[in-house]
Amino acid sequence: MTSCLTMQDRAVAINPTRSCAPIGAMLANYGIHGAITINHGSQGCATYPRHQMARHFREPVEVATTSLTEKTTVYGGKQNLLAALKNIWERFHPTMIMVCSTCLSETIGDDIPGIIDEFLDKRPEVTIPILSVKTPSYIGNHTTGFDNFLKEIALNLPDRRKKKGETNGKINIIPGWVNPGDIRELKHMLREMGLHGLWITDYSETLDGGYYHPRPHFPRGGTTVEELRNSSKSLATIALQRHIGGEAAHIYERRYNVPAHVLTMPIGLRNTDAFVNTLVEITDHTIPESLGVERARLLDALVDTHMYTTGLRVALYGDPDMLEGLVGLIAEMGMIPAHILTAADNRSWGERMVELTEELEVESEIILKGDLHELHKRIKQRPVDLLMGHSKGKFIAEAENIPLVRVGFPVEDRFGYHRRSIVGYNGATALVDEITNMIFERRATAIVSNTLLETGLERPTDIPITLRNGAAHHP
Amino acid sequence: MQFKCNQTLPERAIHIALKGPDGKCQRGDGTGCFIANNVATTPGDMTERGCTYAGCRGVVGGPVKDAIQLTHGPIGCAFFSWGYRPHLADSDFHMKYTFVSDMNETNIVFGGEKKLLQSIIEASAEFPDAKAVFVYNTCSTALIGDDGRDVAKQAEAIIGKPVVFFECEGFRGVSQSMGHHVGNETIFRQLVGSIEPEGDFSRSINIIGDYNIKNDIRTFEYLFEALGLQIIARFTGNVSVDDLKIMHKAALNIVHCQRSATYIADMMKEKYGTPSINVTLWGIRNMAQALRAAAAFFGLETRAEEVIAHEVTRIQPYIDAYRQRLHGKRVFIYQGGPRVWHWIELLRELGMETETAATTFGHTDDYEKIFNQIPEGALVIDNPNVPEIEEILNRRRPDLFISGNKERYLAYKLGVPFVNGHTYDTGPYAGFVGMVNFARDIDKALHAPVWNILHQRARPAPATHHAAHGFEEVES
Repeated sequence: MTSCLTMQDRAVAINPTRSCAPIGAMLANYGIHGAITINHGSQGCATYPRHQMARHFREPVEVATTSLTEKTTVYGGKQNLLAALKNIWERFHPTMIMVCSTCLSETIGDDIPGIIDEFLDKRPEVTIPILSVKTPSYIGNHTTGFDNFLKEIALNLPDRRKKKGETNGKINIIPGWVNPGDIRELKHMLREMGLHGLWITDYSETLDGGYYHPRPHFPRGGTTVEELRNSSKSLATIALQRHIGGEAAHIYERRYNVPAHVLTMPIGLRNTDAFVNTLVEITDHTIPESLGVERARLLDALVDTHMYTTGLRVALYGDPDMLEGLVGLIAEMGMIPAHILTAADNRSWGERMVELTEELEVESEIILKGDLHELHKRIKQRPVDLLMGHSKGKFIAEAENIPLVRVGFPVEDRFGYHRRSIVGYNGATALVDEITNMIFERRATAIVSNTLLETGLERPTDIPITLRNGAAHHP
Repeated sequence: MQFKCNQTLPERAIHIALKGPDGKCQRGDGTGCFIANNVATTPGDMTERGCTYAGCRGVVGGPVKDAIQLTHGPIGCAFFSWGYRPHLADSDFHMKYTFVSDMNETNIVFGGEKKLLQSIIEASAEFPDAKAVFVYNTCSTALIGDDGRDVAKQAEAIIGKPVVFFECEGFRGVSQSMGHHVGNETIFRQLVGSIEPEGDFSRSINIIGDYNIKNDIRTFEYLFEALGLQIIARFTGNVSVDDLKIMHKAALNIVHCQRSATYIADMMKEKYGTPSINVTLWGIRNMAQALRAAAAFFGLETRAEEVIAHEVTRIQPYIDAYRQRLHGKRVFIYQGGPRVWHWIELLRELGMETETAATTFGHTDDYEKIFNQIPEGALVIDNPNVPEIEEILNRRRPDLFISGNKERYLAYKLGVPFVNGHTYDTGPYAGFVGMVNFARDIDKALHAPVWNILHQRARPAPATHHAAHGFEEVES
């Protein structure tokens, strides 16, 4: 059984699976209580991501912009950024300001850290941290912006004055690009273990808040700046996504002597076990009965559904970390992750995925630098039973008449998906339920993979089988 | 007169005005009259504005159904502009696919012209049925000086189809309004009049400035056709590249959105002598006026009265029913531009009054029209930012807020009923029939039981109590 690694060879991207860096930094900054983002660029660079986030989270998303126009583009955006910092400070009194750059401000070469220093020199009363994050869209993708933001936090916020052996007894957890529901599930797991997490960062409430009267000045929830300062005194750092937060975890280890554990995103049984075991390893706590029950329930779901899922071929697309975690669960369900496509140009990830899929005994084609048009073409060549990824894959699902299980970002054509979790034992169980129900909905009677029939691998004789279009087929 | 939230941003005062007694206006700074508009946003202001690329790709060029929509720039601009505006057509190629030259750092350093050329050729090869390639420039590719026009020319020679290059980089202008202008000009210069078809076009029209949001055209096109008129091009919504090429043959341009598309009507008037009329295709009286004006041009008045009478008879019972439920409600409208003044009259037909009017990118002519229609005591505000919107919703407590998707959740968090006028909750809202949909959606927004639950449990007093404070509380 061998998997293969391919790279899409086309200059033009058609229906990309990824978006751009500033949205990642904005999302992460929403996890800090009272923090405000200033997007240094054209107004569209703030408005478009806000609109995208509002469609996914269905919450107000507020971001300031320096509103660069022709004149400021020619003469530099310094005056605009200084004015923006002043206006945001005076109007909102945030606990922190994050300035993210854009293609525009990076290309004209604005020295954002220098401008921030100048602002702070002029305004001694401003004592809040003001971080700058490099997020030009032409480097990397939306995950890059998130990751860069986490690195800036790790470099700038934690308190370096730590006495030997001093600890806050907490564990830094960097969940990466997940949904509010995922963060809440992870919090639940730590709570069950009697542990205290320090979340870098936590948008589980700020981007999934309730209705409160009066409306709070800043959304409720989020990690406070004070906690982030304290994060250098934690017992360990666990990054749950290698590409979003892995580097930051290593910064904690090097700078503050906080041991780093960089794990695979805890989707599925084995990946969640690894997370729980790491917690045990760090703290010597035992695994509580309640988590054992959740794990048993996941196992039960895998047993109960295996006759419906085994052998089905799945196409997955999205961010590297989510795919890596997801492949674990897909394999545990007996399904074959036939196509695994990411937009990232990350060869080492691809090679690791080849090893992983071979270890999981599934045969996959891993596609780097890919887009949805490419995925569609490959699905046409080698059909699949199921598609997994964000909302933009719906056009393939419709054209090929296969179900799309929505995971990742953005999910803009379904309600409440940001509240669900796919991590932990509970998240995996919910995902098993959803995948199986999607299969039930398509073919209430047939439990044999259509693709197996159509590719002639396991053609049964004599009995009529209901095909995907519902017509009876007599081989 | 000043907003509390504007104490740190005094320059906002000239963007705000109240309509006083005898139609006199009181501007925020107490001096001028008409409010400042179409000027750059204050940096750090939490504006709702978009960029020139958004106006061009999202509004004007994007709805052309058989063109390859190719963004020349980084991935984000293309991803975010893909399929968020429901400008439907009878085929969905333009909604399903987005193309981008996907500039990376190396391209930014060494230039992206080669990659653009290759992208156009590849995209065209993948989709041979597409009728043209629309290329939109972005901030980064404009800054590094890629000569997109030249690449478009080269590409055109290779693929044998029009390659239309839009110079719509995001930093141009002060809002998406500049993008509409660029879109109009570019399509006019490069496509309109490139084919001279034979035939009788004496009773033909173009519908200018309707973007077929959630199939708006289904509510009014059959009415113009019932007059005996032939529609050549819809600029732009359910329109093909071939339609745009021959739109100069029309006998009359019917201009609906008079901010984003008047440009092309004016250019056609100048070059081809095509006359145009300005209309509003929302609301009963407006739609009737539009049909009458079009009919008058062609001498079809009697037919128009028949069509109008038939339609109005059909919908009036519904409107009357809704009017009883909506009567007396006060509305805050915040739209891109003309929809604000298009809808003041329409809301009055439903018995509602516009109490606050705001636009993202309105110009002086839009604000004049707004000012003439709003009642005494109404507030007008240009390019309002998030804190201003919040303060208006809290202090004036409108019964209904009509705005776009980004503002929706703020309204909900403040317990204010909301209707999405930008991309429509359900729609379509245009024409006579759409008016019933609009009324139904407003009714749903206002009378959902959830508001009673909120008011009982989470708010000390119902909305009517707050209304008494009105504008007086805003400091002067």
